Amino acid sequence: MPSVTLLGQALVSGVLAGGLYALLALGLSLSWGLLRLVNLAHFALALLGAYLTYQLGHAFHLAPWVSAAIIVPLFFVVGMGLHVVFARFRVTEFTSLLVTFGLAVILESLIQWFWTADYRRYETPWASASVRVGPLFVPVLESLACLTAATLALGTWAWLRFTYVGKALRAAAEDAAIAGAFGVNHRRHAFVLSGISAAYAGVAGTFIALISTLAPSQIWVWLGVVFAVVIIGGLGNPVGALLAGFLIGASESVTMAVAAPAWAPLVSFSILIGLLVLRPERV
Amino acid sequence: MSGRARLVVGALAASLALGLLPLVGLPAFYESFLYLVFHWVALATSWSILSGYAGYFSFGHGAFFGAGMYTTTTLAAGYGVPFLATLPVAAAVAALLSAGIGAVVFRVKRLRGELFGLLTLAITFVLATIVLNTRLDGGPGVYLSNVPLPRLVASPTGTFYLLALGLAVLAVSAAYRVTHSRLGLGLFAIHDDEDVAEVEGVPTFAYKLAAFALSAGIAGVAGGIHAMFVSYVTVGDTFSITVPLYVVLMSVLGGARHWLGPAVGAALITASLYAFTGGQQALLGRALVAFVLIVVILLLPEGVVPAVLGRWRRRRQLRWRRGSDRSAQRGAHPRPSEVPGAPAAVAGLESAAAPEGERLHESSAGAPAGLECRDVWKAFGGIQALRGVSLGVGPGEIVSLVGPNGSGKTTLINVVSGHYSLDRGRVELGAVTLSGRPAHEIAGLGVSRTYQIPRPFAHFTALENVALAATFGAAGGAPRDARAEARGWLEFTGLGRRAAALPHELNLHERKFLELARALAGRPRVILLDEVLSGLNPAEIASAIGLIREIRGRGVAILFVEHLMRAVLELSDRVVVLNEGEVIAAGSPREVMRAPRVVDVYLGKAHVVA
Amino acid sequence: MIRMRRFTRGGGLVAFLVLAFAASAVAAPAGQPIRIGGTLALTGPLGPTALLHKLAGEMYVEELNKGNGLLGRPVEWVLLDDQSKPELARSLYEKLITVDKVDLIIGPYATSGILAAMGVAQRYQKVFVHHSFGMPHLAKYEMHFATAAFGPEPNRTIPTTVFDALAATANPPKTVAIITSKFPSAQFQSFGAKEIAEKRGLKVPLYLEYEFGTRDWGALAARVKDAKPDFVWIGALGLDGNQMLEAMKKLDYTPPRHFHLFPAPGPLVVAPDGKQALSVTVFEEHPPFMNNPGAAKLIPLFRERAAKANVPYTHVDTQVAGSLAAWQVLEAAVTATRSLDDKVLAQWIKKNRVDTIIGKLRFDGPNNYGDDLFKVKQVQDGKWVVVWPREFAAPGARLLPP
Repeated sequence: MPSVTLLGQALVSGVLAGGLYALLALGLSLSWGLLRLVNLAHFALALLGAYLTYQLGHAFHLAPWVSAAIIVPLFFVVGMGLHVVFARFRVTEFTSLLVTFGLAVILESLIQWFWTADYRRYETPWASASVRVGPLFVPVLESLACLTAATLALGTWAWLRFTYVGKALRAAAEDAAIAGAFGVNHRRHAFVLSGISAAYAGVAGTFIALISTLAPSQIWVWLGVVFAVVIIGGLGNPVGALLAGFLIGASESVTMAVAAPAWAPLVSFSILIGLLVLRPERV
Repeated sequence: MSGRARLVVGALAASLALGLLPLVGLPAFYESFLYLVFHWVALATSWSILSGYAGYFSFGHGAFFGAGMYTTTTLAAGYGVPFLATLPVAAAVAALLSAGIGAVVFRVKRLRGELFGLLTLAITFVLATIVLNTRLDGGPGVYLSNVPLPRLVASPTGTFYLLALGLAVLAVSAAYRVTHSRLGLGLFAIHDDEDVAEVEGVPTFAYKLAAFALSAGIAGVAGGIHAMFVSYVTVGDTFSITVPLYVVLMSVLGGARHWLGPAVGAALITASLYAFTGGQQALLGRALVAFVLIVVILLLPEGVVPAVLGRWRRRRQLRWRRGSDRSAQRGAHPRPSEVPGAPAAVAGLESAAAPEGERLHESSAGAPAGLECRDVWKAFGGIQALRGVSLGVGPGEIVSLVGPNGSGKTTLINVVSGHYSLDRGRVELGAVTLSGRPAHEIAGLGVSRTYQIPRPFAHFTALENVALAATFGAAGGAPRDARAEARGWLEFTGLGRRAAALPHELNLHERKFLELARALAGRPRVILLDEVLSGLNPAEIASAIGLIREIRGRGVAILFVEHLMRAVLELSDRVVVLNEGEVIAAGSPREVMRAPRVVDVYLGKAHVVA
Repeated sequence: MIRMRRFTRGGGLVAFLVLAFAASAVAAPAGQPIRIGGTLALTGPLGPTALLHKLAGEMYVEELNKGNGLLGRPVEWVLLDDQSKPELARSLYEKLITVDKVDLIIGPYATSGILAAMGVAQRYQKVFVHHSFGMPHLAKYEMHFATAAFGPEPNRTIPTTVFDALAATANPPKTVAIITSKFPSAQFQSFGAKEIAEKRGLKVPLYLEYEFGTRDWGALAARVKDAKPDFVWIGALGLDGNQMLEAMKKLDYTPPRHFHLFPAPGPLVVAPDGKQALSVTVFEEHPPFMNNPGAAKLIPLFRERAAKANVPYTHVDTQVAGSLAAWQVLEAAVTATRSLDDKVLAQWIKKNRVDTIIGKLRFDGPNNYGDDLFKVKQVQDGKWVVVWPREFAAPGARLLPP
């Protein structure tokens, strides 16, 4: 029988890992839900952000938050630029898969060109730092990532809920024609949203560099779990994505603590299937 | 030779020529390269049968592929079953798996779109975890070196090539058969609007299940063959993101709604994988291929095959117009997928006369019959929408159902048509009980309806919209007869000239009349008209009223939901007034309109609203 | 293409070319080139390590051509990218053999690809030397020769070497926690470690297998911490071990001793938690290995080349040395038999010992395997040094803590 401390520790670590999933899921969820674009390039952008953080830290000794301050606005512009292409060619949900897949492959090649295929690891003093809370240890970086995810999720939620631009975007996602009839300039707002989504990829990238390890093909390792988080959370629902991240992270981690770790995906995804089939209206 | 026959002969000749390729003595590499091409052709084509046609976007094709792969692996390596004998089992296991999933999932209405995608993705993870942690694999992978490969031809690569070719031909011809059958028509309708498809008579559940099982079965065989081809089977390679992702990409590139689209997409993408395998340009090559993919899909968003066909057809049509006076287009009719700009047989319309009253009578689903609702109750959560509604409509009778908004009129129509099940009571058509039957069966028995806000199938032309109802409704014709029938009904509703138009090209009045034509094409005994007149101008209303009279004249029972009092008074034999889910008055129009409760409900409300 | 890329990166290119030219002028091989075909996972998930094999092979071929080539003929390496996909590896080997008609072939990177290629080699009866195969019991082809010198039963011999090394310390472990990735070769050897440990009377309170691709290490780390073992065997690939150590550190736990089966060597050396990490190797850059044939010449060349290619960790260890050994075996066989005939070459290799950069290889045992050449190494003072067996240990080095 696993100890309570072990369970608690697994829960903490799972929830925090879920925070990172959510951080990656946020931007994807926004563009999928509100622009109807399934952006596979989101993962590539995040990894590019991670490599840039690594490079700036490694070669120029910039602190990661300084790097983030450079990367995030840069990615915002990149996101807007991407949307120029999407808007110009009227990319749909269906074709967006292919377009952004191509983009992701190009970015992957670019990353490999500059940084080679070899593993990179950004060593920082914070990597193994943690805070002790009672019998549990709470890792600093993961908590920061989780906190950032929560802040961004709530901020985005408020932005969508209370500002004109946010309401306009949601209205346009429901029915672009009617929203247009009410004078909502969906196109202009879409650029902002695309920029934000890419900027979030940059934020996620910074944390990936700090927490995880880097290799070009790792673009694809996040795909499955983050897709799951995006959809369970509800497309275009930032807070939902956050909670879904926690759910998947925690259920996997607790399984790993109490049972054979290799069975972990079975548990989390069975929960997911059960939820979908039995309570589809809650998803 | 007709276009279709030419296609079949051409396809046979091509398959035969490809089948003889191993005898030519090409270097083995080409066989093995073509093996991979056909392997992906089979996978992508099979994916599109459910996901492309019906729009049930699956991210779980890897699960069925993997199920097939491990079936063959387990049987051949573990139990010494001959390799070829494992393939039907692989198909069966994958198909059963999908049918099991479908039997649960397809009953849940909300599990469409991305939720279905997620569900299938999750199932892939679950399956991979089970295989990884049980004796099926357990982690170290399974090596099939001891499994003898039957020699179809001298070389092993030739054998694999023939197996994959056979499967690809099977998959593509299955796709062709599906798209040119009732099944395909139904799947395309499900893609556009599943609820309407069901109400029009498409057995959506059975069709989705059939498509899913067919799709998974083919993927299972592909997996079984591939297990032998790679000969070392591991969970990591089998259940990777590659299969589910690539089949989507290939289908999108080629055109997921065309039977040949995924095959072309698969060939293009697989070939491009090989274009840059040289050690030095690998990286640049990958990026270049990706860039070309982006450009192609941006320029041809509907996919390569539909785009090329569309262009070709437009050119051919232009030549026809210039050249001869041939008025009818030959060959297979364009599928809904090929529709943009497709010249559906407008010219042939003049010849098809409107169905005559007599004929309608005879070929309807049996003798005229009346509709009877007895004590119908329906609640949504805490809201009681219908409280014991009873009403009847006789053959050749028009009964108007009136009442304020939210009084339950549309709910009643949804209950009668089978879209909602009722909580209590019965609905009968003549001697047959309708309640409790699925909507498509009710449609088949001769009940059709219109929607207040028209819900045509967006990718179907006006003609195809009506033809679908003619195919699946009570008339139940073969698709080809259904088109002639549909032309007649378009003429009848004055839409003859708009036969080739897509719904978004029609104005509101045309769409309303399209609803009507579609409802009539099912040859109903009962027709439920939900505010067909709203939003029409006086001239259009007059012509609609004329149409409705004519329909009644043919012995159809009409339940007429309408707010427009002038039309109600003009048309109705009887009027039923509904308020808060209860019948508060029924009788002749004049009687009912004078009843104090009705005046109260109507005028009282009117005052409040005003 | 290589040259162009290097050109864009600048850095000593001119000097290098001049040198290369000067060297080739000495004894220029002449005639039709001998073409040796192979694939590597230049892109995709196996890319990180395949890159090292590419650099090693390119260097080796260039060195051959600076000398007298093979049989006096220049050597050309026809290298294709299998994109980390076994089915692609298979068909590309068919291409190399049936379309490009290369004279000889050399193996791709990693177990799955090698098995796929081995089937092709068998059908066309090509001698097949490869450098990174982890499951010796699966290699049944009579003309395959592995320079990943695991011996026929690495699941027995490698854990034995490791536990021998530990047993020789003053404070040998009594309890062992084993956590392993479900990656086939890692799981295979880690499961062997469990059996060997138990056979030796050690307690194994924790044996965990996790899914290859796990992202959350917290729970695993917590379980190891809970088990309080004297020694942790981490059957991990790439950077999994780093992540595992970090996760344990976050729980304020550092295992007394920890072993990593297939780590990416560079990151573990620089990681603060990697101190005294144990692993196995066939080569490190110190004596006696530097006295092995070719080492003194090839190692500096490789490091220069790797640095130019922007590889973060340029030291030569198991992967690169194994790769070089494969080329050495091929060269030795061709030179000794003066033949390119696959059967002749295979016969020679099977019968003879080949003295390579990783030591004396023989191929006359079960499945053409010879001795397990793996030694135990440890991170000490920021670099890997061999600590066991004693005769191979770096000067003055021994397993810490003693």
